[in-house]
Amino acid sequence: MMAPDAMAPLVRAGAGLERRAFLRLAGALVAAGCVPAGCGGVPSRWQPGPAVRLRVLSPRAYATFSAAAARIVGPSGGAMIEQRVVDVASVADGLLARAPALAGPLGQALAVLEFGVWPLVAKIRPFTGLGPHAQDAVLDDLMRSRWTLKRQLVGGVRSLALLAFYTQPQSRVISGYPGPFGSERIPIGAAMVGAADTS
Amino acid sequence: MAARLAADAVVIGTGAGGAPVAATLAEAGMDTLVLEAGPRIGTDDFTGEEGEMMARLYRLDVAPGSGMALYAGECVGGSTVINDALCFRPPPEILDEWVDAYGLGALAPSALAPFVEQAWHDVHAEPTDRAHTSRNAARLAAGAERLGWSGNATPRNVIGCANLGLCNLGCPTGAKQSTLLTYVPRAERAGARVLAGTRAERILIEGGRVRAVEVVIVDPTTRAVRERARVETPLVCVAAGVLGTPALLQQSGLRAGDGVQFHSSLHVTARFAEPIHGYYGPTMAYAVDELSDVNGHAGPGVMIESVSAHPVATAGALPGFGAAHEALMRRLAHYARALVVIRDRTRGRIGSDGAVDHTLEASDLERLRAGMAAAARAYLAAGAIEVHVPVSGSVPLRTDADCARFAADPLAASALTSLYAVHLFGGARMAARPDAGVCDERGACFGVRGLYVADAAGLPSSTGVNPQITIMANALRIGAAVVHEARTA
Repeated sequence: MMAPDAMAPLVRAGAGLERRAFLRLAGALVAAGCVPAGCGGVPSRWQPGPAVRLRVLSPRAYATFSAAAARIVGPSGGAMIEQRVVDVASVADGLLARAPALAGPLGQALAVLEFGVWPLVAKIRPFTGLGPHAQDAVLDDLMRSRWTLKRQLVGGVRSLALLAFYTQPQSRVISGYPGPFGSERIPIGAAMVGAADTS
Repeated sequence: MAARLAADAVVIGTGAGGAPVAATLAEAGMDTLVLEAGPRIGTDDFTGEEGEMMARLYRLDVAPGSGMALYAGECVGGSTVINDALCFRPPPEILDEWVDAYGLGALAPSALAPFVEQAWHDVHAEPTDRAHTSRNAARLAAGAERLGWSGNATPRNVIGCANLGLCNLGCPTGAKQSTLLTYVPRAERAGARVLAGTRAERILIEGGRVRAVEVVIVDPTTRAVRERARVETPLVCVAAGVLGTPALLQQSGLRAGDGVQFHSSLHVTARFAEPIHGYYGPTMAYAVDELSDVNGHAGPGVMIESVSAHPVATAGALPGFGAAHEALMRRLAHYARALVVIRDRTRGRIGSDGAVDHTLEASDLERLRAGMAAAARAYLAAGAIEVHVPVSGSVPLRTDADCARFAADPLAASALTSLYAVHLFGGARMAARPDAGVCDERGACFGVRGLYVADAAGLPSSTGVNPQITIMANALRIGAAVVHEARTA
């Protein structure tokens, strides 16, 4: 189950970001149109498809989130995101629509991830325009930072990416989770004391 | 024009507080209308799918000062639909404290005991036997045993549990005896009307008496307001939960919201060489109470409880990203998890708009750190390869020395990557005097005739154990008092 703790990392990062005046400024810049909300210059693989109806995220935030999530969940999941087998950004958009307190800070965090430059974010080009290794370097720098702000910034995006990806049944080929009611190979009883080992 | 309804009594909420009161009033012959803000979702509609059920059954709030997620069930059955089915009798030390500090003689252990046993029976609390012992729970139990720590399989309110591990997504087999399957049907059999998707917005009080409740009817999916209505009634029992009751009272002109307390919680995740399949089995079934400060224990106030290891929660708890994180997730079957839950000392406040003002005190942070270190020690004693703790920049704990170092290092609040609470208390507490609380020991609000608080908001402090039985017992007691007063009035 998505136990309550599943959302907790996201809430924790979101609450931390909410307190940051810097991010509120970023949000104001986005709202004022000083930061592009459209997808000009963004590789098409990250852009929302024509059928996508976004409730919270801008098209640019959708693209930034898709690109970041593809690096965060790892190569197998990343390929699913890139090939649109899983639309994590739409899932995230739905989650944020139900948690308005998180939508603002997370949207602002995505704007900073996309447009932020050194020394805040270790890059000078938009995140979606970077190659995979450069994107990994940006995420790694943020996660290892001594600055709480930088860790919270990437922590919120990371939590949302993992949440959006691992709620999807397609992710089970990675985790091996048999689904809520067991499978022929891993029945419910395999989890109980006295059962034979089944991996 | 708003629709108008009428009832002898209105109960607001269908969880561990509201449903027992509703059943008590209805069975006493009172025309009872029960309001529930969330939708009514039956057992057949519990799909076990994480994202879907979380969206349909849960209410999520945030305590920004602590960076804490606060959860409650928002559906018919309330949090009893999404809890882990654990049943604990209220610890005598806590009840004694309520008597001594707040003058609540009616909650003395001997006075409350009949209601506790009634609740225990009504929801079919029973010991957890070997057939319901998961490998996940057994690893924590083995660790506790090797360390010589006190721990026990925990009683649960289930009949014929199928070990699906879906307690907190809505039990799809109907095994868990939530109020959705116990007190709510009892109330309805006795004639109570349950209005789901109906949120109380204000209690109208005139001349020191309850007159009516203003409500809105909301869309079950979007929760958008569809219609307004007014229920004429001389008697209201509020049980909207700690995230609802204090705000509703304030919106109705009463002073409330102070003294809110939580059981702050986080998880540790242990990897074993052998498969655990921690996503199945009872979501919780074993508790280490060695570090507890209730039920005769003199520890710092920490419980360690086995908890399911489902994909989403586990993914968030594992460190790193990219290929390294994927490699960890490919071992999902090998993880066991434990909840570290503390009896907080921190108190906060809930405003009339529902905003939560709460900043975790340093002593509670210390408890969380001690709990994480202890849980890690237990798992390592049980043979775990490594244990992950939700602390930014931490490395997996692999030895007792690692645990000792972790326990000794200062822990900054900002370093915690996960923190939440589902056990919430206070905000409209009972007390002997109006200057010390919102309502008296009968749950009757000071200065207002016909208004009662019947949920965890009325409890003066946290209980130190999973609280559903305490809340139900208190609600049964208040329901009996309301019936007695209605008959003698």
